[in-house]
Amino acid sequence: MTRDSSRDFLDPAVLGKLLGLQLNARSPMMGNVSGRHRSPVRGSAIEFAQYRKYVQGDDTRRLDWRTWGRTDRYYIKEFEADTNLRLCLIVDTSGSMGYGETGATRLDYARRLSGTLAYLAGQQGDAIGLYSGAVGFQRETPPRRGPQHLGLVLDQIAKLRAGGETGLIKAIHEAAEKIQQRALIVIVSDLLVHPEPLREAFQHLRFRKHDVSVFHLLDRQEIDFTFDRPTRFIDLEGGPSLLADPTLIQRRYREAVKEYLDTINDIVNHSAVDYHRTFLDEAYDQVLARFLMGRNPKTARTAR
Amino acid sequence: MSFLQPILLIGLPLALLPVFIHLINQHRHRTLRWAAMMFLLDAKKMTKGLARLRQILILAMRVLAIATLVFAASRPLAGGWGGFAGGKADTLVILLDRSASMEQQNLETGESKRSTALARLTDLIEKTASGSEIILIDSATLDPVRITDADALRDLPATAPTATSADIPAMLQKAVDFLVTNASGRTDIWVASDLHQNDWKPGSGQWQALRSDLAARESVRLFLLTFPSIESNNLSVTVSGVKRRRTPEGLRLVMDLAIRRQGPAAEAGDQTVPVEITLNGTRTVEEMTISGPELVHLGHTIELGSGNELGWGRIDLPADDNPADNHAFFVFDEPATRQTVIVSDDPLTAEAIRAAASASIDPGVTHEATVIATTDIARISWEDTALLFWQAPLPAPDSSTATLLQQHIAAGRSLVLLPPADDGGAEVFGVKWGDWIGDSGSPLKVNWWRTESGLLANTRNGAPLPVAELSFFKTRLFSGETQSLLKLESGESVFSRVIPDAPSGNEDSAAATSAGDLYAWGTLPRTDHSSLATEGVVFFVMTHRALEEGANAVSRAQAREAGLAALSGFPKAESLSLGQETDSLLAPGLAAGAYASRTGEDDRRLIALNRPASEDDNRVLNPEALENLLAGVDYRQINDEVGSGASLASEVWRAFLIAMALALIAEAALCLPPKPEEESTPVTRAFSP
Repeated sequence: MTRDSSRDFLDPAVLGKLLGLQLNARSPMMGNVSGRHRSPVRGSAIEFAQYRKYVQGDDTRRLDWRTWGRTDRYYIKEFEADTNLRLCLIVDTSGSMGYGETGATRLDYARRLSGTLAYLAGQQGDAIGLYSGAVGFQRETPPRRGPQHLGLVLDQIAKLRAGGETGLIKAIHEAAEKIQQRALIVIVSDLLVHPEPLREAFQHLRFRKHDVSVFHLLDRQEIDFTFDRPTRFIDLEGGPSLLADPTLIQRRYREAVKEYLDTINDIVNHSAVDYHRTFLDEAYDQVLARFLMGRNPKTARTAR
Repeated sequence: MSFLQPILLIGLPLALLPVFIHLINQHRHRTLRWAAMMFLLDAKKMTKGLARLRQILILAMRVLAIATLVFAASRPLAGGWGGFAGGKADTLVILLDRSASMEQQNLETGESKRSTALARLTDLIEKTASGSEIILIDSATLDPVRITDADALRDLPATAPTATSADIPAMLQKAVDFLVTNASGRTDIWVASDLHQNDWKPGSGQWQALRSDLAARESVRLFLLTFPSIESNNLSVTVSGVKRRRTPEGLRLVMDLAIRRQGPAAEAGDQTVPVEITLNGTRTVEEMTISGPELVHLGHTIELGSGNELGWGRIDLPADDNPADNHAFFVFDEPATRQTVIVSDDPLTAEAIRAAASASIDPGVTHEATVIATTDIARISWEDTALLFWQAPLPAPDSSTATLLQQHIAAGRSLVLLPPADDGGAEVFGVKWGDWIGDSGSPLKVNWWRTESGLLANTRNGAPLPVAELSFFKTRLFSGETQSLLKLESGESVFSRVIPDAPSGNEDSAAATSAGDLYAWGTLPRTDHSSLATEGVVFFVMTHRALEEGANAVSRAQAREAGLAALSGFPKAESLSLGQETDSLLAPGLAAGAYASRTGEDDRRLIALNRPASEDDNRVLNPEALENLLAGVDYRQINDEVGSGASLASEVWRAFLIAMALALIAEAALCLPPKPEEESTPVTRAFSP
């Protein structure tokens, strides 16, 4: 892969640091080629799974002759099957993702996260897909393997632009329907939508047995709301602007935020979503390192 | 509300400064591209009502603080009773009750009701009506006087104490008349009075017209500055019936002396009162014991001694809270001949009257009676006649004879109208003769006669006159406004006191109080008319009572009620009583005292002026009665306390400063942030990953 100026969201130093960490799925994946990830079907990997009685039609090459020698019975020795992983990135490109200063918007952060994850998955030989968009602008790249496809996905990530109302719920539902086999679905969004439709969307993904991870990107100012003088708030998603004295509504604002975050916590807990609340002032490599280590059974405890 | 520095009110628009600052602040907002609009909208929705109210209240408090500061700097004036002043009037009409009862004092401060009222009104003028036209109408003179300087109010003779009574409806009428004749613009009428019933005359027919007049004038506001009676142990003294009698032991002065107790002590036990009697400058003190509310000494006798054939005296009580009723003046002189004139062509009638009128009951007093024919009226000596019997056709009202009769009554002399045999004549004094009733055969039965007052009243010891023994055979009916003294069973009056047409105006009413009595008798002292002549006691008493009432007018020593017209018939009247320095400032007749009038070498008259007896009546108008009197009139009553330091208009800038401080405290409280623990817990801390 060649360095491209449009791919400045990829930091070689970060990539080099994170390459040592493997991107694992929390549940068996259904891949179409052999890979590093567990598969729900039994295969010929080196990791023993179980014994079972021989039935007619079984491959005699998989008979355990030692057991036959000891017991004079035919047993088939089964091993875990390893397969590849389908990483489906769902990136929110609604207008609210454009929040932040130029070069450090929420979408820029989302690009770094999703681009780095895509690169890491590509390096593992996993398939990568990208679903993004807002209302009126949907982009969809089905998961495939190979360096060429990785380049395509990275290009698509580079071309993401924030604008319009959020289409996240619709994008999640469509992804849930289109991704036939089990996959690792990583959602990168500010989740500034009403929680109940979000709960349904997550449950839809879980129903399809996908491993769902969410990077909830938030700015601290959006949570703490520490403005001190009258401000006209212009809606990034095109809604009407609002003039308010923050000192008057700060308490109520914080109450609303707290209620919202409580609801989000409840949703992700009940939907078994690997949820990562991420503030934009955090270093994304650390966020990713924590994410990757949390998914590795050997390092999960340390990461958490 | 008035202001001492109204120019500073120009700064009042500064009160809108907080609003402008708020609006400018609103327009100086910054613009922020914002993603989390959903929380913002929720917060805004939740805080819409309360926060907006809070913000409005904060702004209101700031506006209020500046406004009150500006008001305080303008030195506002308000009434001590809640800011009644309500703005400056073009004309201020002050109706001052100068009656004797207004001299009741607060003993702690020495201020009387009148002086307190003057102090209040002076203060009010200085503070709120400096540019207004000030008109004073006092109860004694009823003359509208323009006041140019507020300080002059206290020093004017027109506001000095008097021994008169007041006529509040007449004063109000004068004020209304003044407003009618002068374009006065917005007018405040201030009535300063103690609400005594005898001054307010709730039965007066003037009130109805006054009510409609005042109610119709929207630019006129009526304020009543009233002084309720002070609960105190007040003593008052009155003297009446002063007669000089010559006895074998020497000259004596006989008088009826009454001392009244008012207040809580009226029902207390015996009280010994040192009564100081001054006779021609010589003072003696006599202790009298009063038990109950009143001590009446009928026929109280004072030895005159030699050299005191004539003169004056005064009775003084110890000082109490009303100095005006602590003294009573009297004068005495050689009793004048009690001259009775009978105008009649009926010899029987004339002779009976002459016999009764010329009989003397007092050895020291000469009684004379003269019979004059109806055609010889010019012979009547009007000046010397105390009692006139008129048995002749009534003269026409505009005739010279009618005028002479009216002057006779106006001078305080008595007149008895007797029925002429045939032609009754015209109508005079509202009286007109009617038909004769009865015949000489069967007497007319008496149904009732007036025993409490009048010619047929009971004697001093309470015994009734033997009126029941009288027989009436013929009597002539008469019409007019009269007070019946004796009625037959058929309802007709035989003897009546005629009530002359009520005059208007104080001078006339003063004249009315000093006017003589007028009677109409329907029957004659003839045997074919009645047994008056044969049962002579009643007739004799009636004649002499009528003569006694008229005798004061011809007496050389007369007792009169103080009033503007009290000395009108006495030229060159000079005060004899000492210690009445203010007399010279007052109009003649307004102050109590003893006066002498000398018009010639031998023509000397002594006059004792005292407050009207009604001034000792402490009954005041109750609120309901006042409400009824002024029904439909927009008035405000201010009950003041005598001698209190309160002011009708006082500077209230302190109240405004306090209001400003309260507004600022309220603003600060409203601006306080919410509870610290809630405010200092950012959500990121609670939801950190």
